Amino acid sequence: MQPRSAGLVVTLRQTQPFALDVSFAAPSGRITALFGHSGSGKTTVLRAIAGLQRTAEARILCGDDVWCDTADRAWRPPHLRPVGFVFQDYGLFPHLTVREQLDLALGHRPAAERTPRIEALLELTRLQELGHRRPAALSGGQQQRAAIARALARDPQVLLLDEPFAAVDWALRESLRRELVALQRSLALTVLLVTHDFEDVAKLASHLVVLERGRVAASGTVEDLTARNAVPGIDGWREPAVALDAHIEGHDPHRQLTHIAAGALRLEVPLVDAPPGATVRVQLAAREVILASQRPEGLSLRNTLEAQVITVESAAHPALRLVHLAVGETRLLSLVTADAARDLALEPGKPILALIKAVAIGAFA
Amino acid sequence: MDWTALGLSLRLGVLTVALLLPVAFLLARWLAYGRFRGRGFVEALVALPLILPPTVVGFYLLHAFGRGSPIGAAFEGLLGHPLVFSFEGLVLASVLVNLPFAVQPMQNALAAIPTSVRDAARCCGLSPLAAIRRIELPLALPGIATGAVLTFAHTLGEFGVVLMVGGSIPGETRTIAIAIYDRVQAFDEPAAATMALVLLVMAVAALGISNTLARRAARRD
Amino acid sequence: MHRTLALLAACLFAATAAESAAQPSPVIAAASDLQFALDEILTQFKSDTGVAVRVTYGSSGNFARQIEQGAPFELFLSADESFVFALAERKLTRDRGALYAVGRIVLFTPAGSPLTPDPRLEHLARRLADGSSGRIAIANPEHAPYGRAAQQALHSLGLWAALQPHVVLGENVSQAAQFAASGNADGGIVAYSLAIAPALRDRGRYALIPDSLHEPIRQRMVLTRQASPEAVRLYEYLRTPASRAILARYGFVAPEA
Repeated sequence: MQPRSAGLVVTLRQTQPFALDVSFAAPSGRITALFGHSGSGKTTVLRAIAGLQRTAEARILCGDDVWCDTADRAWRPPHLRPVGFVFQDYGLFPHLTVREQLDLALGHRPAAERTPRIEALLELTRLQELGHRRPAALSGGQQQRAAIARALARDPQVLLLDEPFAAVDWALRESLRRELVALQRSLALTVLLVTHDFEDVAKLASHLVVLERGRVAASGTVEDLTARNAVPGIDGWREPAVALDAHIEGHDPHRQLTHIAAGALRLEVPLVDAPPGATVRVQLAAREVILASQRPEGLSLRNTLEAQVITVESAAHPALRLVHLAVGETRLLSLVTADAARDLALEPGKPILALIKAVAIGAFA
Repeated sequence: MDWTALGLSLRLGVLTVALLLPVAFLLARWLAYGRFRGRGFVEALVALPLILPPTVVGFYLLHAFGRGSPIGAAFEGLLGHPLVFSFEGLVLASVLVNLPFAVQPMQNALAAIPTSVRDAARCCGLSPLAAIRRIELPLALPGIATGAVLTFAHTLGEFGVVLMVGGSIPGETRTIAIAIYDRVQAFDEPAAATMALVLLVMAVAALGISNTLARRAARRD
Repeated sequence: MHRTLALLAACLFAATAAESAAQPSPVIAAASDLQFALDEILTQFKSDTGVAVRVTYGSSGNFARQIEQGAPFELFLSADESFVFALAERKLTRDRGALYAVGRIVLFTPAGSPLTPDPRLEHLARRLADGSSGRIAIANPEHAPYGRAAQQALHSLGLWAALQPHVVLGENVSQAAQFAASGNADGGIVAYSLAIAPALRDRGRYALIPDSLHEPIRQRMVLTRQASPEAVRLYEYLRTPASRAILARYGFVAPEA
């Protein structure tokens, strides 16, 4: 049984114990990241959506289902909301085996359906051999998968994740991220992911809500916000980079290259382990994009794109300029010295070539 | 060896535990998870029997449910005899006096359950009652068991309050601890020594059990 | 393991429950000085009538207070009349009861004590004077009649003030005798009936204190409002010659009329 997914519409307001005034939507079937620094209120928002916390004013809709509306005094307790929640420390029940945890979470299904469903979930999260173990006997990554399996057992309309990779070492993080993306795609789940690590946003999320001191500082698609360098609060922490979805057009195994495309943007990257047609998340750091007024010869780079300058703005360092480019409908960023910008006479509307090394493109599949 | 007194003490211990455990669990839960202003005050109140001399406790209990009091009168109407100097009065006094012994280990065990685990229980479709039954109780079980064992052991040894509230009525309120006192006054050393030894063995056993439970709980984490 | 414990508990419960479900057993309160004398009488009573009596020993004043608070005693053998009369005034008793004995006090010293007992406490007086006296135990005069008698005797002999720093108070006269016999005190002024009882007799010496030195210890017993027929039987039994004889053996003086 495929979990039905619905979009979330959330409005929360309170003044005690700290100020919170947020309003946003998490579209159905997509991963939305709730991004902010510690103290921005993002965990409170997540808990309020799950029903674990109440705010002075709240309106939470899941599709057409009203979970909470203080204006109507409507309130559905957490155990009656179809959410799956993966806690930062997983919140696994210490005294139950993985199977028992799943069985407990499947309480809303008739007993006959539970066993096959448990097997399916264990297979989905690659925990088949570990079903009889208690959390203490599982590694960090296994615990996380168990927590995800348990959340999925709820047949949730929304999956909520609270900094799911914070407790995991970086080597494991990449594979867990891949698993989450694969899971979300195969189940078309609506996912709300709380994180303070922009890498999670760049690699996983299609939509982004930025929280700052209890307010929404920005919201939109990840591609749009990154391409316009409009994500508040990360200047100084992260260099400008565009994150967008591309699809694999084909592989060239002879040359160990893969062709990917995002609208008019066509790129060659080192071979990616994914089938043609698969979606790839691409990160293009502004500093890796070189601008040229004419096509170069004898250089190592593989990607030469015809672009048009949209605008030039100042960058973190006074000697630098951030150039906004358009390749068809797709936008790019390039970081150059002010000196270079002057030499190339960069101004809005000017056609220019954007050069990117194949290896400089981050492709996440 | 006063078997009646021993039986009385054992019955008192079991009844106290049976009545106190549910009350203490609810109180412990309220203290462990509640966020309210007077929490420190309530905790101090619960801990009072630990530090107050038994005579002070006995004094206040005598006044609280002695003949003249509303509680005493109510019970007398119910039971047909006064609450003081009766086994029922002892049970009531024992439940009150043992509150900290039962509440504190339970409160610690419940507070030790990570918030995320309790939250997860609610997010896994468990109603508040089901969450208590399937998550909180099993995880707090060592603490509950410790509370039960300590309460039982302490009840067996309780003297001052029992003497003041119960007198020393054979078959009714003469517990084994009082019986020892009584035998000493009667210059019956052998009987006193026997009963004292029995109590000592029971106390050691109780402590042994409670320590094993505590270690088992620590090992699980 | 759990099953064995449960079984054990069930057995104990059954045993103790069975005992209390047996024949009705009157509950009585008696002054501590009757510790041994009354035990003997009750044994005799049991074999004569088959009724087992549950007795609690303690200080008379304490019992009077407990009876006022609703303690279920059916018969009260006080070591002092005034407590009985007080209870009668408050309509807690059937009548004003009956005198059953007159008590005497002694100075008891344990074996090895540096104090030698004599009727007018002259050795004690000397030791108090030269500062060599150790502790002397008496029952608490506030609520124990024998303690009050001890205090009165000491007053009459002009020793009360001097004794103050050395006095050890017992909850009741039995406890005072305990202290005296234990060897931790030089001795004690206790009930005659306790000093001549088998338990204490071989543990020290005693001297009978003249009853002119204190008010008579008129020991009165009374049936309370909750007295059962068995308690009434005991009350009558205690006034028979057989009981009187036992009391006499323990040094109690028969009451006049």
